[in-house]
Amino acid sequence: MPSPSNSSSYSSSSDEKNPNSAPNPKPPSIDQSLDAIENQLASISTFQPGSLLEPESEFGVNDDEIREELVNGSINEIEELPGNSEEKLKASSSRVWANVSEMEEGAAPSSPSSSGYAGERGSSATSGVEEYGNDDFNDDEIVEVRSNGDFDGVAHSPAPWTPGKRHGDEDDDSVSWRKRKKHFFILSHSGKPIYSRYGDEHKLAGFSATLQAIISFVENGGDRVKLVRAGKHQVVFLVKGPIYLVCISCTEEPYESLRGQLELLYGQMILILTKSVNRCFEKNPKFDMTPLLGGTDVVFSSLIHSFNWNPATFLHAYTCLPLAYATRQAAGAILQDVADSGVLFAILMCRHKVICLVGAQKASLHPDDMLLLSNFVVSSESFRTSESFSPICLPRYNPMAFLYAYVHYFDVDTYLILLTTSSGAFYHLKDCRIRIETVLLKSNVLVEVQKSMLEGRMHVEDLSTNPASHPGIASPHLSQSRLATDSTERLTEFIGVGGPAGLWHFMYRSIYLNQYVSSEFALPINSLRQQKRLYRAYQKLYASMHEKDVGPHKTQFRRDENYALLCWVTQDFELYAAFDPLADKALAIKACNRVCQWVKDVENEIFLLGASPFSW
Amino acid sequence: MGCSSSLPDRNSGRLGGLNPENGSANDSKNLRVKLVLLGDSGVGKSCIVLRFVRGQFDPTSKVTIGASFLSQTIALQDSTTVKFEIWDTAGQERYAALAPLYYRGAAVAVVVYDITSPESFAKAQYWVKELQKHGSPGMIMALVGNKADLQEKREVSAQDGMEYAEKNGMFFIETSAKTADNINQLFEEIAKRLPRPPAS
Repeated sequence: MPSPSNSSSYSSSSDEKNPNSAPNPKPPSIDQSLDAIENQLASISTFQPGSLLEPESEFGVNDDEIREELVNGSINEIEELPGNSEEKLKASSSRVWANVSEMEEGAAPSSPSSSGYAGERGSSATSGVEEYGNDDFNDDEIVEVRSNGDFDGVAHSPAPWTPGKRHGDEDDDSVSWRKRKKHFFILSHSGKPIYSRYGDEHKLAGFSATLQAIISFVENGGDRVKLVRAGKHQVVFLVKGPIYLVCISCTEEPYESLRGQLELLYGQMILILTKSVNRCFEKNPKFDMTPLLGGTDVVFSSLIHSFNWNPATFLHAYTCLPLAYATRQAAGAILQDVADSGVLFAILMCRHKVICLVGAQKASLHPDDMLLLSNFVVSSESFRTSESFSPICLPRYNPMAFLYAYVHYFDVDTYLILLTTSSGAFYHLKDCRIRIETVLLKSNVLVEVQKSMLEGRMHVEDLSTNPASHPGIASPHLSQSRLATDSTERLTEFIGVGGPAGLWHFMYRSIYLNQYVSSEFALPINSLRQQKRLYRAYQKLYASMHEKDVGPHKTQFRRDENYALLCWVTQDFELYAAFDPLADKALAIKACNRVCQWVKDVENEIFLLGASPFSW
Repeated sequence: MGCSSSLPDRNSGRLGGLNPENGSANDSKNLRVKLVLLGDSGVGKSCIVLRFVRGQFDPTSKVTIGASFLSQTIALQDSTTVKFEIWDTAGQERYAALAPLYYRGAAVAVVVYDITSPESFAKAQYWVKELQKHGSPGMIMALVGNKADLQEKREVSAQDGMEYAEKNGMFFIETSAKTADNINQLFEEIAKRLPRPPAS
């Protein structure tokens, strides 16, 4: 193995080549430094699990990725801790979990700190590096190599760990930090940490510097590093001017997906700060950006969480709350009225689903911007407290300029966003909101919205039980099947019925509308973990269908031990459907045809039609 | 890209539109005043407002984004009512440049610090200077030391706060949004100091 000093100086002449390293041929030294990262991440599997076992501590966790280790040393991967407590109980009784609860971002109330910012970032977790100098990772390295006596190339680790028992929370955090399956980092081109999904940014300075060193090493060679495969890990890089984004993942997601996630992460940052933040780096390359992002940890972690459950993150489309056509029309009319009075965009949403959306003439809103905007609003608790007025930037609309957002919640789920270019428009927007609220109340929209949240969704079972008639959105049958879902959710071993031909789930994306609709999950996919796994499978399918070299494909049918997946892409739509792995192919195709017909039949209610055209 | 139809940000230089009419719009018995809270992040501005407006205290910190708008009306003993239209601004650095948007035209500014944090006291002094330079003339300014319930962690003495306030012609009070101590007094005191329009 390469020695630590070699990899740190990037001047090694070692001949050792790591077969898992960078795909583009580079001097061996880079392989070594990447090797070092792999080793650092992989070293976690050599742990004695004994010190990590705190099954009771996992109850505060709802979104986390850890690697589970069985006592016998074999590695088993758990994609996600289930979100609901029953699932957790089940899980904890049958499995041994690593201690992760302290790492949950934003879960712990922020501690007031002298700086004001550090406390608010909510990064209560620590990585155990603070005792070392932050700027000089060479120092870190020496200290570390000495401290853990590790000679297998764990050269760049800024966060030393010692196997066995640790004292205090920080050390445990450091251990669990390494166990994360999916890390996200934002850093500056000078190597200063800006954001880390796990751990305190300031304490990850050494690690950030390592990432920066890799990127600039390749850039100095006139090249660009995009992806490094290191064993099970993929290290994906995205360079955006002075901002570097890195994802280190062993989730086996396709490169395109991870890169898309980094793009969204960058977009989220632009939404908060605009791209003009680059100027700060022009003035001072060592500019520390973390204070500028004070209090936004929760926004980023919520976005990263949504990579697991929100298909909008890879479909690049938005989804609507199913509503009777007339109801949506009523909301649209008043929003249009408001938009005509100088509001750029008027958006009425329920959680991440659009109720109605209207843009001023010629203004178009990119689905990614909608995703980032709604993530920003939903994840920032303070918007729920009272009406607010805040600058935000829509990266796809104009990454350089702030717009001003008026945000108001009508109830716990339903909120209005009015966007304007005028910083002084608050009172006008407030008046607009009052007018909108009056109309929404009068035409019962808010009640319908609540109803739809509860019952009006597409259940695959309805495709089979009622093929002749048009399955209506708010038919009593739908609510019945919803109740059935609830009552059976607690069964662990449920032999799923699903829809016809073993249809478990589908997503339909209208290309023209840039909207998608997805069915409810059938019973075989009733846990968050299974849903996440399905989304990952869809993601893979999506990536393979959109591969530039071979694509675009028209249809794809693939079968593995979990599902039979069918994907069908036409000029008008993309359909992704998941079936029982034993499903018959011909029947599955038939079912997909019926799904398309079904979607057509109810498109008035599941899509927002006649919205301002999207053009980009 | 969605930028094809992007509007230039032509309004960016124009601030000061956040006023209903003026800082205060009044008849002799019913006053309406615009009040802005400024101060470092985490000193408890939102907690003070929520205690005053809703009588609530939420110990979980919710970082304010941009600025929140709330209003509350109080009745004084002389049977005048005062409606406070409150801009609760975010303390984060990235919003500092936008502060004028919220304090321009305000009749009252409440500058808040945390008595356990000297840094926040320094930040409060920054805001006072900023307001003296750019705020409305005749603006009533209050200096508030919040988190007074945390006596054992106090790092800014009441004496220091008071002296600084006096020097700058401000009204000084220490409050605790958690225990509700002095919260109503703060706003009542402000209301008493408001200039009364001549009875018409």
